[in-house]
Parts: sequence; C-alpha cells; structure tokens
Amino acid sequence: MSAATPMLQIKNLCVNYGAIEALKNVDIDVYPGEIVTLIGANGAGKSTVLRAISRIVSVRSGDMSYEGNDLLKLRPDVVVKQGIAHVPEGRRVLSRLTVEDNLNLGAYVRHDNAAIHADLEQQFERFPRLKERRKQLAGTLSGGEQQMLAIARALMSRPRLLLLDEPSLGLAPIIVLEIFRIIRELNQQDGVTVLLVEQNAHLALQTAARGYVLEAGKIAFHDDTSRLIDDERVKRAYMG
Amino acid sequence: MELTTLLQQLINGLSIGSVYAIFALGYTLIFSILGIINFAHGAVFTMGAYFTYALIGSRFGFNGIFANAQLPFGLPFPLALIAGGVLAGLVGVLIERTTFRPLRRRGADPLLTLVSSLGMAVALVNLIQYFVGAEAYSYPSSVLAGLPPSINFGTPEKPLIVRTVQIVIAIISLIILVGLTLFINKTKTGRALRAVSEDGTTASLLGINTDRLIVLTFFISGFVGGIAGTLVGLSVTITGPYFGIAFGLKGLAVIVLGGMGNIPGAVLGGLVIGIAENLLPASAVAYKDAIAFAILFIVLLVRPQGILGRAQITKV
Ligand SMILES: Nc1ncnc2c1ncn2[C@@H]1O[C@H](COP(=O)(O)OP(=O)(O)OP(=O)(O)O)[C@@H](O)[C@H]1O
Ligand SMILES: [Mg+2]
Repeated sequence: MSAATPMLQIKNLCVNYGAIEALKNVDIDVYPGEIVTLIGANGAGKSTVLRAISRIVSVRSGDMSYEGNDLLKLRPDVVVKQGIAHVPEGRRVLSRLTVEDNLNLGAYVRHDNAAIHADLEQQFERFPRLKERRKQLAGTLSGGEQQMLAIARALMSRPRLLLLDEPSLGLAPIIVLEIFRIIRELNQQDGVTVLLVEQNAHLALQTAARGYVLEAGKIAFHDDTSRLIDDERVKRAYMG
Repeated sequence: MELTTLLQQLINGLSIGSVYAIFALGYTLIFSILGIINFAHGAVFTMGAYFTYALIGSRFGFNGIFANAQLPFGLPFPLALIAGGVLAGLVGVLIERTTFRPLRRRGADPLLTLVSSLGMAVALVNLIQYFVGAEAYSYPSSVLAGLPPSINFGTPEKPLIVRTVQIVIAIISLIILVGLTLFINKTKTGRALRAVSEDGTTASLLGINTDRLIVLTFFISGFVGGIAGTLVGLSVTITGPYFGIAFGLKGLAVIVLGGMGNIPGAVLGGLVIGIAENLLPASAVAYKDAIAFAILFIVLLVRPQGILGRAQITKV
C-alpha cells in the first residue's frame, strides 16, 4: 500500500484558534480505497483536522494535497466539487428544511438531474427510515435518523473521500452498528475512501485498516489497526 | 364609515401594504442570512425611485450636479421600473462589498456592521443630494398613459372609486411577492439560500458558495427596494433624498411586527400596517405614521418574537 500515492496527504499541518494551538505539525496520509481512523481524547484536535481539510478553518502552516491538488488553494465549496464530503460533528442537518431538501442540497454541486434523482432513491433504499419521512422537517427527526440523513446527504455529492466526524455520537448501540455496517459497505462496494474520527475507539479500530492517535494536537503514533487494537497505550487511554 | 369608503380604504391599504411588504422583504432576506439589519436599505429605496425617474427621460431640477440634466432617451415606464430595480440591486451589491464583506472577513461583531450600514445610509443620502438636489420630484402623469386615472368598482349610484395607481402598485407588488416566494421555496438556488440562512458553515460543507449567495441576496434586496421606491414615488412623490429614511423606519416596524427574518411575517406585517393606516378616520390622518409604531408596540408586548416569528430557543 505504501507504494501507491496517497489520495490525501497532510504534512506539518498547524492550526490555531486565536492563541490556542489546536494542531501542531500533524502528518496524515490516506490512500485510495482505505478506511483510516483518527482517534483521540476530547479536545485532541480530531474535528479540527477534518475542518482544515474542508477549508472551514484557516490553516496557519503546512501542506495538504488531495489527488495531487493543493487543498490550501481551494475554497470550501470547491473542495466539495473535488469529491470530498464532510459529515460534521453533531450531525448539523438543516433542521428547517425537509429531509428531501437536505438530500437535494447534498447534490448541490452536481448538475446531472436524472442521476441525482436516482441517487436520491438509492439513499432511500439504504435508509428506509428517511424515505418514510421525506417530507418531514429534518429538525423533527430522532438523533439516529438525523445522523443517517447527514451521511446520506454527504453521499449525494458522490464523494470519493468521505470525512466522518463521530458518527456514533449519542446513538443507541444498535443504530451505531447499523451505521458502521453502512460505512463498511460504502467502502467495499462503492470504493469510497473514508477518514473516520471516533470516540468509540474499539469500533473504529475494528472498522478501519489504519489508525492515527492524536494527543493534544499532535500525532502520538499511527499503525495498522490490527496492531493498535493490542497496543497497551491505546488500550489504557481509549478502550477502558 | 360607510361601506364603500371602507372598501375603498381597504383597497388603498392593501396597495400600500403590499409595497411595505416587498420593501420589508429586502430587510428580511439580508437579516435571515446575516442576522444584521441593513440600514442602508432605505437609501436604496430612494435611489431606485430616482433611477426610474431618470430612465423614463425626465429632467432633473435646478440644484445638484445633474441640474437640468436629462437622458437623451426615455424608456417606457414598465421597462424603466425594472431597469431602475436592477440598478438599485447593483447599489445593493456595492453596499455588500464595501460595508458588509470587509467586516465579515474580519469576523466583526454584527453590531459594528449595523453601524457601518447606517454610515453607508447617510453617505448615500448625501450623495443623492449632491447629484440631484433636495427638491421633490414627481413622475409625469404620462407614465400611466392609456389608463384612466381612476376606476369605479361600484355602481354609478354607489361609487367605489380607486385610483388606478393604487391598483397598478398592488398588482406589481403581488407579482414580486409571488415570484420571490416561488424562487425561495421551489428553486435550487432558493433552497441553497435557505440553507445559508440556517447554517452558513454547513452550507459551505455542501458545496454552496456562501459569498456568492450573499451577493445575490443583496442584489434581490436592492431590486425589490428600488421597485418599492418607484412605486411609492408614483403613488405620492419622491419627497427628496430623505424619501426612503422615514419609509425605512416603517419597514423596520413591519419586519419586527411580522417576526425578524421571516418572509411570510414581512408580508403579513406590511399588509397589517398598510390597512391599519388607511382605516384611520379622516380626523386622525395626521397620526398616520404613528399607527405603525403603535401597532408594533402593542404586538411586542404580547408577542416579543413578532406575529409569525419563532420564539428564541437557546442553543445547547
Ligand atoms: N472555534 C474554536 N475557537 C477556539 N477554540 C477552539 C474552537 N474549536 C475548537 N477549539 C479548541 O481546539 C481544540 C481542538 O478542538 P477539536 O474540536 O478539534 O477537538 P476534538 O478532538 O474534535 O474533540 P471532541 O472529541 O470533543 O470532539 C480544543 O482545545 C478546543 O477547545
Ligand atoms: Mg470533535
């Protein structure tokens, strides 16, 4: 795998929020077709990495390239056009819009209306709960349904790289398993590359092939998840 | 009040109320996206009225840089109305670039932007005076040539006479209201506008260029503001560079009354104030302008969020 060129390459990334140094010299590589997970404690900077990739926080220094393009030169809306979709932390569905409007907005960057319509139906097949509620305001969905909507909406842009920020947050175990099943399915059947941020380290390490451990804004270590699962440091810190 | 007079006043109220509504929508659109009142909106209204005045080929007065100036051509009124709206829309875009965007880039407090827009309003008013002087202008009656000055909706014995201008104004305003509502609720761009208005960051994550939509919003806001200015100028006169400022205050009353940032609310608020003003007995006409604020005062006591506004929910 190391022979291939990374789809996403992050080098020496530094991000500040005012005086707070949220990320310090972060290096991450994601190869095409992988699921990579980024784990770490609260406040470690996991969401900040995803926000930097999506260009919704300003980067202080470092390099980020995606499929050979310099991400730092792109506006957030152009990043989406390049094939990166971001499911933000806390779902962030547009609560005053209907489920269907949310999904259609997921395809905002596309213009192939017939294919968009087919994709909409595909999302409804994948998430039948959304189909029953297509005319309902997104704000009235349950937490699990909102997470499904947020993922389905991201898929509507037909991303090649999917950034997922804590998809399991606040959900019942059975829904979490369902969502992780869908993530694996997307990766295996549709070939979507995934960068997964998770608090639930156990599940994340089982799902991903490689993992990065972020501590206080720095990458502490990274390895294949098969080794991270048995790593004493990971066990102590993240798997209780 | 006699029934026919009542009906007459009701129609007049609907007519001016619908202009209040489209004018207030200009505030509402910007407020729903940026959470800021654009105080320069009243000045855009004024400019729209002057643009149309110039475009129909009318001559300016004796003061200002443009004293006695006149375009070498005159557009028919409907065309001039639209072109005046477009020019006012461009003024709106200019206001965004100079008054809103630089502060937004620096992450400034909305209060600062509000003050900045107030400064822009003063600058525009002075600019207007500099160019065309402080006198009042009236559109020539020929703009509605071909139409009778008034229409009798009653019978010869029981006349129900309404000025044609009021009907023209009501029709144009309604067309704009319906068009704008369809645009916001039924089109892809309208959907994106609603997304930006709820959550700009999430909208960016969906690939929406929020800056471009903000510019579009200012254009639409300026366009409807300019059209409203022309329509009011047509109904009464363009009273001078401060024309839009008093009207602007009333527009604020309309949006607060209807519920800030709420489109149906702005429409309802406009109609309520327009009708209430016109149902005043003749002896109280001098207090017409107080009506808007009296209604506002009472409604806010009962419903602080406005008639159709959402109650403030604290985010957790
Ligand atoms: N908008 C902001 N302004 C100031 N500081 C911020 C902002 N967003 C994040 N931070 C700080 O940056 C650091 C990293 O935050 P980030 O949200 O990336 O953490 P995280 O690893 O995603 O945490 P969690 O697991 O709780 O979601 C934290 O110390 C946080 O307090
Ligand atoms: Mg986070």
